[in-house]
Amino acid sequence: MITIKDLGFTYGETGGLKSISLNKEKGHMLPSDRYVLKNINMKLEEGRIYGLLGENGVGKTTLLTLLCGLKKPQTGSIDIDGHDPYDREPSFLSDQYYLSDEVAAVNMKATDYAVTYGKFWEGFDLEKFMEVMSVLENDPQQKMNKMSFGQLKKTYIAFALACNTKYLFMDEPTNGLDIPSKAQFRKAVTKYTREDSVILISTHQVRDLENIIDPIIILDKQDVLLNASIAEISEKLYFDYTSERNPDALYCEMIPGGNIQVYLNQTGEDSKVNIEALFNTVHQHKEMIKGIFNR
Amino acid sequence: MKNDIFNFSRFGKYFVSDIRTCRSNFGLSLLTIALLFPVATYFITTTFNFVVNSVWDGPDMGLRVFVFAVAMLCMIITMPVKCYGRITEKQYGSSWLMLPASRLEKFVSMFLLTCIIVPVAGIVLYLGMDALICALDHTCGKNLIAGGMELIRGMGDLQSLTMNFVDENVTIEDAAVVQEILKQVSSPWLYVDEIFAMTLPFLLGAVFFKSGKTVKTFLALFAISTAISIAATPLMTNWAMNIFNNMNDDPMAVMELFRNGFFKHLVLIDIISDTVSNLALMAGIWFRIKTLKH
Repeated sequence: MITIKDLGFTYGETGGLKSISLNKEKGHMLPSDRYVLKNINMKLEEGRIYGLLGENGVGKTTLLTLLCGLKKPQTGSIDIDGHDPYDREPSFLSDQYYLSDEVAAVNMKATDYAVTYGKFWEGFDLEKFMEVMSVLENDPQQKMNKMSFGQLKKTYIAFALACNTKYLFMDEPTNGLDIPSKAQFRKAVTKYTREDSVILISTHQVRDLENIIDPIIILDKQDVLLNASIAEISEKLYFDYTSERNPDALYCEMIPGGNIQVYLNQTGEDSKVNIEALFNTVHQHKEMIKGIFNR
Repeated sequence: MKNDIFNFSRFGKYFVSDIRTCRSNFGLSLLTIALLFPVATYFITTTFNFVVNSVWDGPDMGLRVFVFAVAMLCMIITMPVKCYGRITEKQYGSSWLMLPASRLEKFVSMFLLTCIIVPVAGIVLYLGMDALICALDHTCGKNLIAGGMELIRGMGDLQSLTMNFVDENVTIEDAAVVQEILKQVSSPWLYVDEIFAMTLPFLLGAVFFKSGKTVKTFLALFAISTAISIAATPLMTNWAMNIFNNMNDDPMAVMELFRNGFFKHLVLIDIISDTVSNLALMAGIWFRIKTLKH
């Protein structure tokens, strides 16, 4: 279980640690516009694949790097099964994997990389690595610094899944993947991850992950607009795919063959959640959506 | 309860993987420096001698010692950046920080590799190549290993000969002081900690600066040594002037300096000052690893 409490983070010198500690002594926080993340509270539970959505610059990557311990929270705390990620204790690191959006092209064959570094993760399974590499149609004998960006990304995805960690953080994993690889990625994530794992995937390409992410977290500047499961979303919002336009719709977008409309679910009827439409609805009615889901 | 500070089995795994990474990043450069420098020196010198002087004559000991020193300097300057410089890059650094090994294990491995394993490998390879060249072409004379052994023997002989200089002007105590200084100069630690003292600033520069690592390290070293010189020159001059003024034209006063003074412990002072600066540099590297973020 991941518990995030009053998390705050800011970049830049003026908003750095020094100013925060000075302001803490004075008993007040920094002006809110300096924060990338501010007073973020969240609980991430086992057995879920969370989709982390948000516009550019709202702090998705920052949140992921804070969760895996690459950055230190400036205010608040993160607790992952009793560990502070920034301590970077080996016992904690061996149960998590962070797949960065930019991956390193090391001067090694993919198999050698897996053999050399896989042994640091207790649950690492070389056979699984080879299997996922084969699912993703990637050559494990190729040198990583000779791979294209997509091939390199697939190698790291295979490695991340083969590590069998409880916590898996992926930043834009489908960036650079071709169309068949995106489908193979979805298949691999659902097939090769532990049942009790907590997977957090940040993405702009919601359609790439539409059928695998649940719950959905939508970040806004310094705020969490939504953190709800697909079932909760479908209980509270109705996604209508008919051609007739409803004047009460919170959001409406023309699609080939009709409209996609989102309105409050008054009847309790089930509908298929369209994440792109959901994202736009949430952004157009921030306070209203927060009110509905925080009730 | 798992040991999150230092676990020998995990350290062993990490150290092996670190050696592999270092080999892929610096292996070729190490071979180039250690093998190409002596070979190039040999070919350039013999060709020059043959063309200009019409004699077949290999590089002499003095030139080979100079090239060896230059090669080792090149290795020490480039190796930390090639082996660990990438940890300040987001892509590589994130993977490195997230690798399940403790900070202490990563630090110890970094120290062992850059200060001991790679320099020793470089020296062994270089001396091996030099010995091979000297074995194949006797015009080069003694190889560097034989030359070094001779130097050590010479120091030993000089120590034993010291007592021969005892006369009415030089007492047994004076000879013993000179003997002690020679013994200290022969101490291997004097040279080992010099390797650390040369490597550690470049390792700190490699993990501290995000770009222009070698140039910035040189500039930082230049700035620090200039500042120390400016601060220390008046003090040292004053101290030296006091000594010379108090000698009152007595030649035995010079011997007194060695007998009881600063010079008797010069080597020890050098070792202590190097050790202190090495510890400070190691603390800087440790702090950088501890606070590195991406």
